[in-house]
Amino acid sequence: MITYKLFSSTSVFKLVDNSVVMCIPFDPANTDYQFYLKWLEEGNEPLPADEGTQ
Amino acid sequence: MALTQVDQGLLGTNAQYTGFKNRIINGAMVIDQRNAGASITIADSSFAVDRFIYVASQASKFTAGQNLNSITAPAGFTNYLGFQTLSSVSIGAGDYFVVSQKIEGFNSADLNWGTANAQTVTLSFRVYSSLTGTFGGSLRNSAANYSYPFSYSIPVANTWTTISITIAGPTSGTWIAATNGVGVSVNFSLGVGSTYNGTAGAWASANNLSATGATSVVGTGSATFYITGVQLEKGSTATSFDYRPYGTELQLCQRYFQTWGGTTGNEYAPWSGLGYNSTTAEGCFTFICPMRSAPSLTQVGNWVFNDVASDNAAGTLGIGTTGLQTTQMRSSGATGITQYRPYTLRASSTASRIQLSAEL
Repeated sequence: MITYKLFSSTSVFKLVDNSVVMCIPFDPANTDYQFYLKWLEEGNEPLPADEGTQ
Repeated sequence: MALTQVDQGLLGTNAQYTGFKNRIINGAMVIDQRNAGASITIADSSFAVDRFIYVASQASKFTAGQNLNSITAPAGFTNYLGFQTLSSVSIGAGDYFVVSQKIEGFNSADLNWGTANAQTVTLSFRVYSSLTGTFGGSLRNSAANYSYPFSYSIPVANTWTTISITIAGPTSGTWIAATNGVGVSVNFSLGVGSTYNGTAGAWASANNLSATGATSVVGTGSATFYITGVQLEKGSTATSFDYRPYGTELQLCQRYFQTWGGTTGNEYAPWSGLGYNSTTAEGCFTFICPMRSAPSLTQVGNWVFNDVASDNAAGTLGIGTTGLQTTQMRSSGATGITQYRPYTLRASSTASRIQLSAEL
């Protein structure tokens, strides 16, 4: 199952079955970010960033 | 001797002898940064060679790879992209199994598609299959609502056939300008359901990936499909394949994908940084060349932060502020990091990779 977890104010981890598979920058031209935006539009929310990350 | 006359025949749209004649990148399937020629059970939205993306509605239906099954490439080529059906599928209306190249708007805007000045193009390629019959594909716009299904024939099984298809440029439809978005998608069907099929040889306001009646490769167990020499050029004639130097082709691919690691057990990445706290180091990672967009980072295996005296497990690498040429890369869950100490970033084994993707 695909989920997302914030990494910083400008990026998010993509997780598949709770394992990190990539880190995605918040760039509208980035294809992975476009998929993330669609996932958000479906009503999903990312996990919060770990404490202490910037 | 002064040049007093230029043969006007050389200036026509069918005779482009210099420049970026072929809008397809890696059309000879020479560059395979991700797999280095190894075959894979190919997943949806992944790549068996650079720039050719495979998309599928069902998982684990094909083995794919550069020079899969080691057949003889067609004359003039050393590489091809191959697919072999792992598990046959009875295609449903909404199914699709397609290999595509998405051409960037910067490389297609001069075709003037969607205007009265739309340019004619010719698509050519070499293809080989264990199956015979009529096969299909399409050209499609970025919004996936305007497309041109095409069909072609493979009359003899297990023999390379050269295909050439000339397509009048569309005067309608929405086509993006010179930007880093998708200009044109060139699609080759390995099996497409009726939802995404249309009449061959005509532009339509539809999301067509192939032509009605085309052969389904995925419909036959162990069927093979090989392709190379893919070229999309302006004009109504297929000219000779546009061979580019290996280094040029590699750099064209690196606008979309770059990778580090895998050559030795301790390859360094172009990153230098400082310890931020005991579990984090942070620094700047420099790309090989500017990328199409800010790229996504995939970390494979383990990497270490090295301070000359010792290796310290880097944990999970992530990116912060990212541009087209650099990214702020830092770790999460590193061990043994000393605040403000300088570090370099090194692969932990030959399996370690850092991969950046800005694919369309």
